[in-house]
Amino acid sequence: MSMANTSSPRSRNRPVRDWSGRIGRTALIGLPLAVLVIWTVTPILWAVLASLKEPLEIYESTSLLPENPTLDAYRKVLAMDGFGRWLFNSALVTVVATAVPLTISILAAYGFARYAFRFRHVLLLLYLVPRIIPRVSLIVPLNSLMSDLGLINTYWVLFITYSASAIPLATWILVGFFASIPREIEDAATIDAANMYNRLRRVMIPIAWPGVVTAGVLCVREAWNEFAFVLALVNETTMRTLPYQLYVLKDAMGVQDYAVYNAFTILTILPLLLVYLLLERRVVDSIVSGSVK
Amino acid sequence: MTSLNDTQPARRTRSDRIADMSEGVTPYLFVVPGLLLVFGILGYAVVGGAILSLNETDMFLNQTYVGLKNYQSVFADPRFLNALWRTLLFVVMSIVLGIVMSMVFALTLYRVTRGRRFFRGLSLVPYFVSGVAAAVMFRFIFTTSGGFANAVLGTLGLPTPSWLGDPALAFLVAVLANCWFMVPFATLILLGGLQTIDREIYDSASIDGASDFAVFRRITLPLIKPMMGVSLIWVTYISFSTFDIILALTAGGPQRATELLSIYMFEVAFLELNFGAGSVLMMVLLAFNTALSILYLKVFVLGDRRRKLEQ
Repeated sequence: MSMANTSSPRSRNRPVRDWSGRIGRTALIGLPLAVLVIWTVTPILWAVLASLKEPLEIYESTSLLPENPTLDAYRKVLAMDGFGRWLFNSALVTVVATAVPLTISILAAYGFARYAFRFRHVLLLLYLVPRIIPRVSLIVPLNSLMSDLGLINTYWVLFITYSASAIPLATWILVGFFASIPREIEDAATIDAANMYNRLRRVMIPIAWPGVVTAGVLCVREAWNEFAFVLALVNETTMRTLPYQLYVLKDAMGVQDYAVYNAFTILTILPLLLVYLLLERRVVDSIVSGSVK
Repeated sequence: MTSLNDTQPARRTRSDRIADMSEGVTPYLFVVPGLLLVFGILGYAVVGGAILSLNETDMFLNQTYVGLKNYQSVFADPRFLNALWRTLLFVVMSIVLGIVMSMVFALTLYRVTRGRRFFRGLSLVPYFVSGVAAAVMFRFIFTTSGGFANAVLGTLGLPTPSWLGDPALAFLVAVLANCWFMVPFATLILLGGLQTIDREIYDSASIDGASDFAVFRRITLPLIKPMMGVSLIWVTYISFSTFDIILALTAGGPQRATELLSIYMFEVAFLELNFGAGSVLMMVLLAFNTALSILYLKVFVLGDRRRKLEQ
């Protein structure tokens, strides 16, 4: 669309260059687009291909494609001692660290978007400042605090730290969405004697639903992929999440079975990619429209 | 029926009065729970880190106040200077490469006519891949035997270096992996900026015979300045605090070539169990990040968001 719009006046002015110009323009888009696709897909595609190969094939064959594609590696991963537990840990932590910060952030965002109160700007700033604190920088004092509290190697420590670090971003997104809902719409519902709970549930959340979904997906992403906290706050094998186990997999396997390694990698990213696939439209739209920043 | 109608006005005023009284407290009830959790954990960690950095922790976890001694010994350590230098180099290279790539990708996605939605969605996929997984994938692309890079180079008859064994090359691979992970988000932010530009501006510019580059420099760039700022914040923040990717890709090696501040901090605190020095490094990381973020926010974003809120 943009191409047609920008190029048509120009071709009218200079018809001689039209033909070569069009090829040039197609190359100008096609080439970087090819780079974009190759750049994005290659690491994942290579891992998928490697996961379908036989254990020693990677060393012996120079072929990029697997000679006898097999799902053995995936069977081996699923049969691993503890894989079910790590998957469960990841899922549990993700569910809690999405539900809790989302609930808290909806309330907070509503407060910020709808009320004028003392210290509103200061408090909002206090909410947002933690976003610029890198997670990894907190692991030293958090480890020391959680040891004092006796919470190392518990689910609680992951629930608490994951939730706390997800709130600032979720609140930030939701304040924007709530603030953009006209007051009149909410007031109209209030006249029908809706209380605060119903006002949120029946009016605000449905209208701001794309924002809630986006904030939710980003909470899921943070929790599912989190690494620094779990590395610093958990050390028992049974308490690991999938990214942690993927990190120690190199040392855990005696002889490196590249196929199994890659199959494990694919299995850790697959669930989140499926979530993304389902809600891709909302998430991409929210980011492009500048609601997430 | 009638009695209900009679009582309703009275009840209304009473609840109104209650609403008036509680209006002062209500917003705080909404806002405080999150603030408690955020500040109870993250705020504590920052303060706790500051305190830890002024103390020495012995093997029985007893703490003694030692003033700035930890800072002095860390700043005098050549390993710290190496990590600091590596981090700055890593951040600068990542910002330059990352912003250029994001800009090119954003312009491309903006101009794509067919399947734009598909390509936009595809471009964001790496954003959802965990840092550890991204690092493992990049390791398998660049492993000496059986890696994708060397398979391609070998087929073309080109030299097949030991990517992760050579300090300079390993550093480059780390920058690439970091870019792979962070460019998608920056791309979509910039794409959002491009889409807000009125097409007519481009049309009149091309009627005036302006070259593509001139249009980009004189029209596009100034108009997407706020989005540029957001992308810069994102890219800088991610690069400064990269941890997962480096730890799983090179673990700081070879020969400390990729030992960034975050990796150094982790090793000092969790492998050498020197929490004092680890906290000093945490404060350094925090100071850099805060300073840069405040700078960017002042220049690009805060005014914009505040205007929106007050509308």
